[in-house]
Parts: sequence; structure tokens; C-alpha cells
Amino acid sequence: MTQYWDDVLAALARYPARPEIEPLPLRSTTFATLYGVRLTSLGPYRLFGYLSIPTGAGPFPAIYYPPKYQSVLEIIPQGTANLQRSRYVTFSLAGRGQRNADTPYAAMFPGLLTEGVDDAASYMFRGIVADSVRGLEFLLTRREVDATRVVVAGNDIALITAALGSGATSVVTTPALFYRTAELAPKTNGYPLEEINDYLHLHPARAEAVRRTLAHYDLLGFAPGVTAATLLMAGAPGTLLDGPALGPLATALRGPVTVYESQQSLYKDGLYSERWMAEQCGITDVQSILPEHWRD
Amino acid sequence: MPKARPADYRSKIRKPDDFDAFWSDVLRQASTVPLEPEVVPDPLRTSDDVEVFQVFYTSIDHVRIAAWYCRPVRRAARTPAVMVLPGYQMDPPIPKEWARKGYVALSVAPRGKLRSNRQFNPGYPNLLTHNIVDRHTYAYRGFYVDTWRGIDFLLARPEVEPTLLGVTGSSQGGGLTITTAAMRPEVRAASAGAPYLCGFADAIELTHTYPYEEINDYVRRHPERRADVEQTIAYFDGINFADRISCPIIMNIGLQDNVCPPETGYVLFDRIGAADKRLYPYDGHGHDAGRARHGAVTDAFFARHLPGREVSP
Repeated sequence: MTQYWDDVLAALARYPARPEIEPLPLRSTTFATLYGVRLTSLGPYRLFGYLSIPTGAGPFPAIYYPPKYQSVLEIIPQGTANLQRSRYVTFSLAGRGQRNADTPYAAMFPGLLTEGVDDAASYMFRGIVADSVRGLEFLLTRREVDATRVVVAGNDIALITAALGSGATSVVTTPALFYRTAELAPKTNGYPLEEINDYLHLHPARAEAVRRTLAHYDLLGFAPGVTAATLLMAGAPGTLLDGPALGPLATALRGPVTVYESQQSLYKDGLYSERWMAEQCGITDVQSILPEHWRD
Repeated sequence: MPKARPADYRSKIRKPDDFDAFWSDVLRQASTVPLEPEVVPDPLRTSDDVEVFQVFYTSIDHVRIAAWYCRPVRRAARTPAVMVLPGYQMDPPIPKEWARKGYVALSVAPRGKLRSNRQFNPGYPNLLTHNIVDRHTYAYRGFYVDTWRGIDFLLARPEVEPTLLGVTGSSQGGGLTITTAAMRPEVRAASAGAPYLCGFADAIELTHTYPYEEINDYVRRHPERRADVEQTIAYFDGINFADRISCPIIMNIGLQDNVCPPETGYVLFDRIGAADKRLYPYDGHGHDAGRARHGAVTDAFFARHLPGREVSP
């Protein structure tokens, strides 16, 4: 780990989480209770998350959904069977700027990826990564969680969190933001990487500063710190972040790695991911917690 | 592979007797509100081939609505336009790729979305059930009008060919495509993917995933309000708008869609009034509805029905 991230974690440690946990009856069911959680991160900045606890005697395996690259905070990802909450503790966190954590800072999408990107010390993702680490720390304080079965599932932030924090036993990561960003952004005009192109088109003199900032966030730098089993969700063959493109990342990860190339089907890709997580957590009857339209 | 879902599913969706009167009254109310369009250049997002603007206009209840507006740098004096409508949770995209295909493009952020949430912000989850017991104040009353007013914005633009307007979107954007094509006869071609907001009452029984699960949460918590909920959603169901569609339309659905059940897609397609309509069901696909393969179909469809564009080199 670099001095940059040592400093971030040290700064985070100076702020206790001070969680407030309130039941949310509207989203609670016979099989799970939902809570709204407020907690403090680097800054200090107050965050918000949704914590779902299964009914019954635990401990339970857990899935942590770190901040996504969108304004909306979901309880569980759209399209996931609500019954997932009957078998896993789930915790989804809004990083600073996302809805429910957008005071005083409200992020724009697109826009967040380049917010302060010309200065690594003030880059917005410095705080978001700290938020995500804080979220994992919080989840692991819960007595309902089986600490031997903790999945972190998300985009690049999932992998970074698993590297910087402790306690992730499995990782599902879909790189989209921080893999060879400065090198790959010019090869696409699709968002979110197009944000980098937009920014440099308007501010060409800042290119070197942007490159320096992004270098701190490159997944290749975090990979040696990840010992958890990892499912690396790659793009479809021929796309910017396909299996071969992510090959160096797969090689650099220290734990067991499965590379899955997208079949450009949210059904096939989602089913693979659900089954993989269940297998990692020892859940043998995954059929019962799949969406109705995915069951055999 | 999951078992095939019936294409002849028996829907419980029924149109209220005063459906047309209700929406006529909403449109009358909206017509009293001046559009007051504002077009602001966005140099950060503008590139060599596409000009990007932030757009604002006023909708019903005097809510200010934001949108992204893109136009190809190289274009005809009057250019076909496409309105792009967003999914439930997504942040409305900057539609540069549509401009690169030669269209003027408007991507609307209906009320509650980022940049349109200063006056109305029920949040997510919550939008789907905000005032769901009262059709006169239900969230989607204004939300629908916000998208229809996007057509008014396009019609007012000098660079837009007013006889060549298209509308497209997937998921919630697909549902909004249905309602916009139904309510705005100026729309000449529509492409709806995995339409959400179509078959509410069926979907909440067929699937238990968010966002539809918001309604199940609400009714579980407030069982005494079920009848009011059922009454309200009938006025907002895309299936009940569908017979008003007369423009050419294509639809794509995924047969393993875990968000918008394919059964509702079949019912919707059956109710569409247009003579020129075609359904593309994709087996082996979920809520993507075969998007990767279907993109070429959509491009060819709009190229056929919205001719006259120039494509940026």
C-alpha cells in the first residue's frame, strides 16, 4: 500500500463511525428486517446505508454493496430477488454525494469521476474510497454477520475496498472506472470514461496532473493486496474491458480468481454471479432465492 | 434454462371508464403552464463532433425540468430528432451517441431525477408509491407530463424537423416511450425496450424484485389502502395508453426479465393500436432485453422512419 492510502486510512481512523440504526418497517418483511444506518466517515462526513438482517438465528453470510456509480442508493441491486435478504445480511452504502448522503455534497452523474481529479489530495474518490472502507468496517461489527462469509460486490470500489479494508472473504468486481483509466479513456466515447475525455478536452494542460491522480486508483496497484476469492466480471469479448484486457489484473490478484466474460445478457451474467456468491457462502439451494424468471 | 413464459398470459389490467377524461384534464392543466425553455451551452461536455447543452423547461405544477440536448455539429438545416427517456434508477445520459448517428437528441430528466429534484424529490425507493392512493397527485402524473413536454421543446427548436420526431428508451424509458407515443401524435416512430410501468398489477404478482416490489412493500404495510392503490395505478398503466398509439413502433423484451416480466410485455404489445408494430422477444435475456443485438434493429428502424439526417464522420 502506498503512502497516499496509508494517509487516507489514518485520517479515516480519526473519526469514529458513531452509527445510528433505525428500523424501516415499510421495507421489512416476514423474512428480513431493514434498517437505515447513518455513520461518519472521513471529512467528517455523515453517510447513509441500508442494512437488512434475515429473520432467525444467525450468524448469516453477508453481502456488502459499496457505493455505486449512480445517484440512487438501492437496498439490493435492481432485479435481485427480495428473498436474497432472507439468507444474507445485506448492507448497501451511499458514498458521499449519492442520494441520502448528498448533504452537504451532491454529486452529479456524469461529473463525479472528474470532481477534483487534478489533485489527488482533494479528489472526491479519496473520500468515497474511505466511505466504502468505513462501510465494511461497520458491517463487520454486526453480531448477525458470519465473518467467514463476507462478499463485497460492486464495481472497482469493491476491489479497492477489499484491498484496503480487512474482512472480505469474497469479491465480485466489475471494473468500469479505475483500470488503466488514462490509457483506456481515449479509446472510448462512452460514459463514464468519456468524463475523462471531456475534462481533458476542456483542460488539456491538466493531463499530467490527472494521470498522477488516477495512478493512485489503478486496480493493478490494489490487486496484490486482495487475498479473497475474486470473481472478475469482464466485458463481452472485444469490448474495452474484456477478459484479455483484464488479464494483467487477474494475474496480479493474490487470491483465487475466476474471470467471467459478459454474455451481454443480464440474465446469464446475473445468474452466474448469484450462483458464485452462493457457492462461496455455502448456500446450496440458490434456486430458492433467485428471481422467479431465472428459476429452472 | 427457465421454463418459457406464456405469451397468452391473462392480464388483469382494465382501463377505467374515465381514463381519457382524466388525462384530458391533466393536459388541460399542463397547457396553462408556459414552457419557458432555457438552453445553456455546456463546453465541458461538447466535443468536436457534438454540441451539448443543458436544457430547462417548465412542466405541470410549475416544476422546472432539466434535460441534456445534443446536436451534431454537421447537420442539415432541419434535422430529425429523437427523445431519449430514462430508466427508473439511472441518471439520464448525455445522448451524444444519438447525435453521432445524425439526430438531434433530447434526454429528459423528469421530476425527481438529478437536476430536476429541487421542487420534487420523493427519492428512490419511494417514487413508485409517492401519493399512490390519489391519481390526482400520484408522482407519475407530473412525471409523464414532463416527458410529453419534451416534445414541445423539440417542436420549438429551429434546427429540428418537426415531422420527424422519434422516442426511445428502455425499462422505465420503455414505459415512457409508450405513454409519449400514445399522447403525442407528433411522434412518428417509437422504440420501447423492456417496458416498465406497463402491467403494474400483474407485475407485482409475477415478480418480487425492486422497483415493482415497492408497491408490495406499501400494500403489505397499508393493506387497507389496496383498493385505492389499484384504482390509481390503472390510470398510469402503459397498457391502458397503448391503444392510442398510431405511429410505427418496435418493442424488445427479454424472456428471462426479472424486473419487467415478459408476460406484461406480451399483453402490452397486443394492446398497441398501431398497424405497423413488431415485437422482438429475446430468449436467454433478462432486463437487457437483448440490447446488444437489438441496437442494430433500432438504428435501422429510426433510419427508415426518420430520414434526412447527416451522420457525423
